[in-house]
Amino acid sequence: MNQPRAVAQFNYWHELVLFGLLIGLLGLAEYLSPGFLSLRGQLYLSRHLWVFAIMALSMTLIIIAGGIDLSVGSAMGLCAVAFGVTFEMTGQLPIAIIACLLTGVLGGLFNGALIARFKLHPLIVTLATYAAFRGMAEGISQGESYSQFGDRFSELSRATLLGIPLPGYLFFVLAVLVGLFLWRTPTGRSIYAIGHSAEAARFSGISVNRIRIGLYTFSGFLAGLATVIYVSRFDTAKADAGRGFELDVITAVVVGGTSIFGGRGTIVGTVLGLLLIHETRQFVGRYWQVDELKSIVVGVLLIVSVLIYQLLVRQRETRSH
Amino acid sequence: MTRNSKTETSAFARITTRREFGLAVLIALITIFVSFFDPRFLDAINLRDILVRCAPTAIVACGMMLVIVTAEIDISVGSLMALTAAAMGIMLSENEWNLSLWIGLPATLMLGTAVGLLTGLLVTVGKVPSIIVTLGLLTALRGFTTLMMGGKNIDGLPPSLQHAAKQGFWGIPLGVWVAACVLVMTLVIIAWTPLGRRIFAFGSSRYAATMCGLSEKPLKLFVFAYTGFLTALATIVDVPRLPTIESGIGLEFELLVVTCVVVGGVSINGGRGTLLGVLLAVVLMTMIRPVLTYLEIGEEAEKWTKAIQGTLIAIAVIGDSLLRRRRRGGPRS
Repeated sequence: MNQPRAVAQFNYWHELVLFGLLIGLLGLAEYLSPGFLSLRGQLYLSRHLWVFAIMALSMTLIIIAGGIDLSVGSAMGLCAVAFGVTFEMTGQLPIAIIACLLTGVLGGLFNGALIARFKLHPLIVTLATYAAFRGMAEGISQGESYSQFGDRFSELSRATLLGIPLPGYLFFVLAVLVGLFLWRTPTGRSIYAIGHSAEAARFSGISVNRIRIGLYTFSGFLAGLATVIYVSRFDTAKADAGRGFELDVITAVVVGGTSIFGGRGTIVGTVLGLLLIHETRQFVGRYWQVDELKSIVVGVLLIVSVLIYQLLVRQRETRSH
Repeated sequence: MTRNSKTETSAFARITTRREFGLAVLIALITIFVSFFDPRFLDAINLRDILVRCAPTAIVACGMMLVIVTAEIDISVGSLMALTAAAMGIMLSENEWNLSLWIGLPATLMLGTAVGLLTGLLVTVGKVPSIIVTLGLLTALRGFTTLMMGGKNIDGLPPSLQHAAKQGFWGIPLGVWVAACVLVMTLVIIAWTPLGRRIFAFGSSRYAATMCGLSEKPLKLFVFAYTGFLTALATIVDVPRLPTIESGIGLEFELLVVTCVVVGGVSINGGRGTLLGVLLAVVLMTMIRPVLTYLEIGEEAEKWTKAIQGTLIAIAVIGDSLLRRRRRGGPRS
């Protein structure tokens, strides 16, 4: 009945704007470059998306909790080398996959333990492991690349079910689970509290340290999972796997409306941010056929999206106070 | 008497728990160890080589330190280095525009300063967090550089510039001279100008500084513009050493610089840090690779450079955290 209040209490403006932008972009893309929206083309191009998308889920949680994880790309390198080395030693795919996931989990646990136990800034800790993980991957593999994991393994990332690639299903399941966790469970809600004020969260009985360690471990696990898909897609495991991915992942999360200072963000926003960036890249690549333009557009998109939010939304908030 | 001995131990403790002390000891130990292993490590040529490698990092770290002291961050310096290198190459190369040094070099410096200023404006006026702005620029500037260079490398820089960068004056390359000047300049700014004191005041408590009537915007504009300027300067002195300019220049340079600043004891939360610490950290980080080469453990060892760098950062920050805790927990006067 009281409409202005309903409008004021509507918390999903950012998601709505992103959705509008996405529709606008897709419309424009289809108009300028007919055939862009064909389902087959879109599904085919989606293979660029899944590796980033999976890691963006845990990154969203971490950034909402006021942290950041710069090490995910390097963790992928280390996981890939772990995968390659174990496969070469045992010749068993399941063992290699387990080793890959385990490496990710241990790496994430290490990050989380340092951040929670020693009260260190996550930016610094993950900067250290950013160098350390990649360095270990390079040191262990000595620049060698591992390949020939067999056709059945390559199928893992290429096979489709009802036209949708298998990694897509994995992402959807994970996104729904993580989204529900964040939205509905007490632990999920407490992540927002930690992001707003870790001190206040601790005083209200939330075990901040345990949740933080859990989040970074989860991030490591997803990096391992993303590596499995990555290795399967390219059929090579090399120390340079995932180089620079952390920046793309963070960009998607921030464009998706998660505040870099913590306390605000949703999984729906992240999914929209991922799609917006993915479609922008594909469209720019297809329409202008200049690869470099992609990174310029994505970089500008990141700055402008936050700039608009700060100029419009923040201003309105301060005025209404 | 008891009181006297107490102050003595605390003075000793104060020196030994300083980050600068730890870094200096570490550098000394490594140098002694390696020169036992291979005395050629102490040759003038090798020391000069290490200094030359330190120069660009030290130059940019001076600006980055001020940025981090104001509790901001700039992770776009690596891409900015590539952009300024490409611009410099296009302006000066005899195969391209072939401009005079007197036009090309100031223009390069202005480009760097302008990008820094843009970052500063987006942070202060646009109120976009600096990590977002510079993350966006990190991606965008790199793309822009590749686009500008059109897939080919640039060579044919003026021989005089190449000579200055490689041989320099009185046997010491240009980069080392410039780095020394920048260090002195930054030290003067930090220690003797109101500007420098205000930067530290803002870093340690934004609220208190605002209450004292200081305004934040000019300070932040300055630190970002200064960093941009220094990045262009580092490009000018370091890039001509390379045979060609490629678009991959400065890849991950931002991480090296931030690492050095943090290992040097500058607090990421702002307000705390010394130039000496940063300088020592630059030397330590740059030493790793030559040391591994001189130890002659073989090709294999050099691949571990990054792992060692990462471990050093971790040790530095964990040690800091432990010291802080002990100091807080122990009896305090």
